Amino acid sequence: MTAATANDVPLSWYEASARQRIDALVDAGSFCEFIGPELREISPHLAIFNLPEQFDDGIVIGRGRLDGAPVLVAAQEGRFMGGAFGEVHGAKLTGLLRAARALKQDVVILFDTGGVRLQEANAGELAIAEIMRAVIEARHSGINVVGLIGGRAGCYGGGSLIAGTCSRLIISEQGRLSVSGPEVIETNKGIEEFDSRDRALVWRTMGGKHRYLIGGADIFVDDQALAFREAAIATLAIRSRFDPNVLQAEQKRLERRLHRFGDVEDAIEIWEVLGIDQPTGIPALPTGAFLRAANKRENADDAR
Amino acid sequence: MSDWGIQKAALGERLAAGQQHARGKVVPIPSLPAFLKAVIRSGDRVCLEGDNQKQADILASALANLDPRHVHDLHMVQSGVVLPSHLDIFEKGIARRLDFSYSGPQSARIARMLFGGKIELGAVHTYLELFARYFIDLTPNVALIAAVSADKDGNLYTGPNTEDTPTVVEATSYKNGLVVAQVTEIVDKVPRVDIPGDLVHFVVEAGRPFYVEPLFTRDPAAITETQILTAMLAIKGIYAPYGVRRLNHGIGFNTAAIELLLPTYGEKLGLKGKVCTHFALNPHPTIIPAIEAGWVEQIHCFGSEVGMEDYVAARSDVFFTGPDGSLRSNRAFCQTAGLYACDMFIGSTLQIDLEGHSSTVTTSRIAGFGGAPNMGSDPRGRRHPSEPWLKAGAEADPDSNAALRRGRKLVVQIGETFGERNTPLFVERLDALDLAQELKLDLAPVMVYSDDVTHIVTEEGIANLLMCRSKDEREQAIRGVAGYTDIGRARDAKLVDQLRQRGVIRRPEDLGIDPLDADRRLLAARSIKDIMLASGGLYRPPSRFRNW
Repeated sequence: MTAATANDVPLSWYEASARQRIDALVDAGSFCEFIGPELREISPHLAIFNLPEQFDDGIVIGRGRLDGAPVLVAAQEGRFMGGAFGEVHGAKLTGLLRAARALKQDVVILFDTGGVRLQEANAGELAIAEIMRAVIEARHSGINVVGLIGGRAGCYGGGSLIAGTCSRLIISEQGRLSVSGPEVIETNKGIEEFDSRDRALVWRTMGGKHRYLIGGADIFVDDQALAFREAAIATLAIRSRFDPNVLQAEQKRLERRLHRFGDVEDAIEIWEVLGIDQPTGIPALPTGAFLRAANKRENADDAR
Repeated sequence: MSDWGIQKAALGERLAAGQQHARGKVVPIPSLPAFLKAVIRSGDRVCLEGDNQKQADILASALANLDPRHVHDLHMVQSGVVLPSHLDIFEKGIARRLDFSYSGPQSARIARMLFGGKIELGAVHTYLELFARYFIDLTPNVALIAAVSADKDGNLYTGPNTEDTPTVVEATSYKNGLVVAQVTEIVDKVPRVDIPGDLVHFVVEAGRPFYVEPLFTRDPAAITETQILTAMLAIKGIYAPYGVRRLNHGIGFNTAAIELLLPTYGEKLGLKGKVCTHFALNPHPTIIPAIEAGWVEQIHCFGSEVGMEDYVAARSDVFFTGPDGSLRSNRAFCQTAGLYACDMFIGSTLQIDLEGHSSTVTTSRIAGFGGAPNMGSDPRGRRHPSEPWLKAGAEADPDSNAALRRGRKLVVQIGETFGERNTPLFVERLDALDLAQELKLDLAPVMVYSDDVTHIVTEEGIANLLMCRSKDEREQAIRGVAGYTDIGRARDAKLVDQLRQRGVIRRPEDLGIDPLDADRRLLAARSIKDIMLASGGLYRPPSRFRNW
């Protein structure tokens, strides 16, 4: 009998499930889940629409260790309803962030979400607001909240707003970060504005490389679980600042950015304005070469 | 009274009429409408080149813009009805009768127009069958074809997408028909002569490339673990025991999964060099990792694939390429190769009935056949032996005299018991029958006939229909791999168990396959980018397939 597994192949963050990502992220065997699937905290809304529930409502939260240091972890499951926020899903994340403040422990959020669940939109929107407040309060008391973006569902809608409040964002090329999704833009503004089926366009507009270049994300990594782990460890070692000065500096940066890039039509032109040598070659560059080419990127420091 | 030479004289008249609008052989684009009006006569049999890939799109729109008061009642004989303009020609009353092979994206509209009486249908063919009829009773009076470039003498370069062109030109030009080619550009010297200028009467410089559909690109990111499991079953349960070296893969995620498992799972099974060495195959991007790992010796192609041009050119040890370096495809030859020189066809389908007939037709669509029925049939004219062919023949008829026994081509249908949107693969009655009834067709459009199918593979296992000895056994073998579909649940458990004892049905565990091993990490490439990287950057995927 042949063993058919190919364990020598590194785990792709993009393809992994929420639980696989956590397993690969934290120190081996250190993860302890809160409100696990055995408690069956399911969505109170989905049954009304005759939709299947999931016992963890599409998010895994708990405590683990990263290079020995205690950390709280939340991972969204993009394969369940596109990782969308519902009432229970949101409440679990809110609770974790509040616990972080009480326990004085850093938080890592593994985003993989299309935004708010349409079937429980009000509860979901409220959850987004509560989560953002909880992130801000945690950061205000000195906690690092680090976002990891590289899942199949990307980080869209309310998820992108939450990501905007994090202290640092780690992103891979596959990761997408944007408020409105490609289909939403196309539906509202027409295919001339944005062709959602042109995947190269989608990725150069919302994908990890572009977000890194314009300061929308802070660290760029390969699509490998180990790369995310190493980047998370390095990021948590830095205390991020969070005060009015930081926010004012970021406001100025964004105004400047709008001024610099406001008139251009396509991400490639932005890269050109940034002073990148061969802007059209950016999407094809492997990570090392990309990082070298990205030395003139915009930098968001601790706010965005 | 001269009764002979009528056709040559008629061609002469057309040439003279066309010459009014041309400089030498070159027709300027603005003159194209007047030119077509001058050379096409009402009632003509017209071949408008286009298949599932390349399209003579400029000529198609020009034809559709003719005035039906001047040109009408055309009989279109063409491989593909793919562009909207192909059907506009009928909508406007320019053409009336249609003989074709493949309709893909126009399958719903063509069905509506048949119901509405806008189209008088001759027949739906396989590619090779329609090509054959070009030489017997469907010879075109006018062929409107597509090429990459031409010189002033009409020598044509078709580039990697040669496809149907030589066949269409051969049938038309040598039988006094008129050949008009659209080309991207007119050059002093073509990179290679795919069609000799003697056979081409007029050339239109389109100023842009003809349209090509990237039909054979399957994104590995969309391959499911169930598809990986069925692929593992096929490799271990069919490729390995029969030693299938010469084969054709259909389009679809199941066969894409097989291609991507060769360098990983196939390697572990020690099958390199023993299976999958020679293909009749379009240049599927998903075959790149297997080629790079040294699995594939030779591939002949029906057509090309968008983005594969540079890769193919750099792998002339595997592909057929011209002195200019680029791929030479030829649909007629490749279809013949797939029919006579391949020991196996494997492809996906939409519906399989209890006898084993399979069809890709749904009630409101006529998608046509393309090449699959030809690939997926047992060629009764075959005489050369090979190990898989003899073994399959022996399984079907173990008691007869081996020296007088026909071998069998392996014709494998592969799929999940529940397909897209949870539609069951197995049905009591094919939708094709309802369609035939509604359209009053003599034949239901069946893709692969039951007596050609040798194996059905689903995630439940492999049914070997060669080893079934009665209609009843065949039905139970099919039910036995139909899983939780209604067909599967109505199986006779005892009979199915007996079939399993005899090895007619083989479950994953019978083959030593643990379904939990069917992991996406087994794929040699898990994304289009992985494929691009495996090709050393030579594969250039079109924008719509890139997530970077």
